[in-house]
Amino acid sequence: MDVSQYLEIFLDESREHLQNLNTQIMNLEQNPDDMDTVNEIFRAAHSLKGMAGTMGYKRMQNLTHDMENVFSEVRNGTIKIQPNMVDILFQCLDALEEYVNTIQETSDEGTNDNAPIIKLLNDCLNGGGDAAPAEGGQPADAAASAEGEAAPTGDAAGDSGDPTQNWKAIKLDDSEVAVLQEAKNQGKNVFGLTVKVQESCILKAARAFLVFKSIEEAGEILVSNPSAQDIEDEKFEFNFSIICITERSLQEVLDGVKAVSEIEGAEGGEIENPASMLKSSNGAEETAPQEAPKEEKKEETKPAVAAPAAAKPAAAKPAANAAGGDKKPAVSKPIVNRTVRVDIEKLDVLMNLVSELIIAKNSLVSASNTDGEKAGVNEHIEYLENVTTSLHESVMKVRMVPIESVTTKFPRMIRDLQKKLGKKMELYITGEETELDRTVVDEIGDPLMHLLRNAADHGLESAEVRKERGKPETGSIFLDAYQDGNNVVIEVRDDGNGIDAEAVKSKAIERGTITPEQAEQMTEKEIIQLLFLPSFSTAKVVTDVSGRGVGLDVVKSKIESLSGEVEVRSKLGEGSTWIIRLPLTLAIIQALMVVVGGEKYAISLNSITTIENISPKEIKYVQSKEVIHIRGNVIPLVRLNKVLDIESTKGPDDDLIVAIAKKGDQLAGLVIDELIGQQEIVIKSLGKFIKQSKMISGATILGDGEVALILDANALI
Amino acid sequence: MGEEKQQNTGDSIQYVIIRIGSEQYGIDIKYVDNIVRTQHPTRVPKVAPYIRGVINLRGEVIPIMSVRLKMGLEEIEDTKNTRIIIIKLDQQGMVGLIVDEVREVLTVPAENVDKVSYDKEEKNHFLCGIAKYQDRLVSLLDLNAVVADN
Repeated sequence: MDVSQYLEIFLDESREHLQNLNTQIMNLEQNPDDMDTVNEIFRAAHSLKGMAGTMGYKRMQNLTHDMENVFSEVRNGTIKIQPNMVDILFQCLDALEEYVNTIQETSDEGTNDNAPIIKLLNDCLNGGGDAAPAEGGQPADAAASAEGEAAPTGDAAGDSGDPTQNWKAIKLDDSEVAVLQEAKNQGKNVFGLTVKVQESCILKAARAFLVFKSIEEAGEILVSNPSAQDIEDEKFEFNFSIICITERSLQEVLDGVKAVSEIEGAEGGEIENPASMLKSSNGAEETAPQEAPKEEKKEETKPAVAAPAAAKPAAAKPAANAAGGDKKPAVSKPIVNRTVRVDIEKLDVLMNLVSELIIAKNSLVSASNTDGEKAGVNEHIEYLENVTTSLHESVMKVRMVPIESVTTKFPRMIRDLQKKLGKKMELYITGEETELDRTVVDEIGDPLMHLLRNAADHGLESAEVRKERGKPETGSIFLDAYQDGNNVVIEVRDDGNGIDAEAVKSKAIERGTITPEQAEQMTEKEIIQLLFLPSFSTAKVVTDVSGRGVGLDVVKSKIESLSGEVEVRSKLGEGSTWIIRLPLTLAIIQALMVVVGGEKYAISLNSITTIENISPKEIKYVQSKEVIHIRGNVIPLVRLNKVLDIESTKGPDDDLIVAIAKKGDQLAGLVIDELIGQQEIVIKSLGKFIKQSKMISGATILGDGEVALILDANALI
Repeated sequence: MGEEKQQNTGDSIQYVIIRIGSEQYGIDIKYVDNIVRTQHPTRVPKVAPYIRGVINLRGEVIPIMSVRLKMGLEEIEDTKNTRIIIIKLDQQGMVGLIVDEVREVLTVPAENVDKVSYDKEEKNHFLCGIAKYQDRLVSLLDLNAVVADN
């Protein structure tokens, strides 16, 4: 079966499950006795295994399987969660993530068996003592029930004796009968079911798994024949039988089962008297002579079934390989495109807007046909404008994803750092629901991780120092995200030591970044800015967490490439705050269109605060630089025509038009020749060929087809 | 002049023959995306002088450069024959080359193409080979050298 078409879904869902597992295992570490969490983990691990199996990723399946075993034992209460077990589980999750990544790149899971982790997991199981026998017990049961089949009970008279073919032949032991009896006493229904999978079905185990899942939704499965283990391993032909306890009716349960595709049929009935299914030891003795050949026959058929079952996933895999094969050479490019899951409501809104757009277009067409009525056209154009603006907004919304998708991995990271650095710390995240453009969210993960690591490594003091300083031993790191106008702000804050400006200064002088004379003149703020310069690290010891000096400048350039900015505020002894400011969206911005020396330029409206008319007389000079004085602020002037190497069209005595731009709390007055107005523009890249200067952040195409460059006011200040 | 994209047939290579000044050059057609008439470019400040600016080609912003200036020739006014050849390179993406004229497309058998050895003469700097076509010799432009910034 070609499963490549499901690859995308598989990758998406695997990631979701892995993330869920990460979160839940973190939970579990806090509350080792929380059964809900254990169940949740078990379910996620189980689904992951089922999915990996369906897709033919054997190694991934094996690893998940062993992990699931551990949880199964935890759930049964046979083993307890130990701290070292949590570490092993996290290793296991990392290995699984590795598989998923490899699959994304090559559509193959790779060749790493992760044997050491599997061994560790099994050690966990054995450490639990009695865990293993319980596993082994089930097949024995199945064999035992096979033995008893020659002694039909009253119910099963005349029916086929194979318990896989007919649930009535299932034999129960004392405790199982007791459970059934009790369920009946509680007024629950006890049903036996026999399910037949279509003979054309290739992934029987996966189908059976879905059947199990459907029944588990309705109630509880007490017994299955063959055992759940054998079914998962595809050690069955086409039938299997189940006894379940449920509150629903037989019909509901059967409907649920039949809803699973590739299921030929399911039949079942109520078990009136569970005791009648008790396997009688007498019966087994009576039929002992008969039993021997039967057993042999079973032995014969079993390997026969197992062999094709094993062969089939193997066959499925080359198929998947072949599907991925021709794409394989381009390893650098992931085989699966990135996807965004979109709320269906958002799509509905889009659809409605598009129909409105068509209506608007049609009315324009008819308006242009009936000439002489100019007023009508204007009305339609206004309508069209409304529609396109809303359309733009909703398309943007479709591209938006909550930053949760990156922040969820941080608690785990902080936990690991805590162990590695030997510091106590706690991460508090707020505003995970804040939405950002998908492309931004994808890119923002690394810089944030860097800042968090920095906070953990450099920011927070060790527990002893904290105690001395009268701070709580456990350091706190905060990650707050919120929307602020057209920006999204993400703050990484810690209550650690803060940045020691003196240390930065002496380091900078030592490295020759600045001269001692320069250092004298610099404010504390400017000195802290030095941290963002390449190859600057104040960590006294280089650890593998941070301190190689490649960090902050990379963070800065990454965020700037997303048209964002990063700033830092710090108070020595109290902690520091890193503030990242990102535009909500990258593709379309509101821009101020201006003319400089006859050329049109766009400036992002976000950075413009006001526009002023200034008489040349108001220009003052500070250190021979032009400044103006507006409402108590001294604002340096930037003559755009000079920056852009072009003659201004204005005379020296004409009033100046100055757009006041803001970057953080710095202001600058951009001198322009003419204002055109405000316009929504689509940002285009200038391409790789032109190594443009920093002040040009891109280009846009105007309504008349002309190209206008976009000026980055931040770079001009 | 529309698109002249054709698959190279057999062992022969197709070259778009352009004229710059008095010289003719061949450009391997596999790099050519499009040939368009000149249009007024938007100047980009603070870039190399031979980069004329950017133009809008069906919604894409494409940088264009003057091959004349790059080769050290004098810039001339655009004429009615002046064309922009849009080439697509792996590294730099799309770039428009302003040439004086686009003449024809020649199909040259591969064995008639000789690589030129690089002798440090300035003129050969932009050449990657010579193609023999009937009794003509066509110099082949090394596009990577043309767009390289130096």
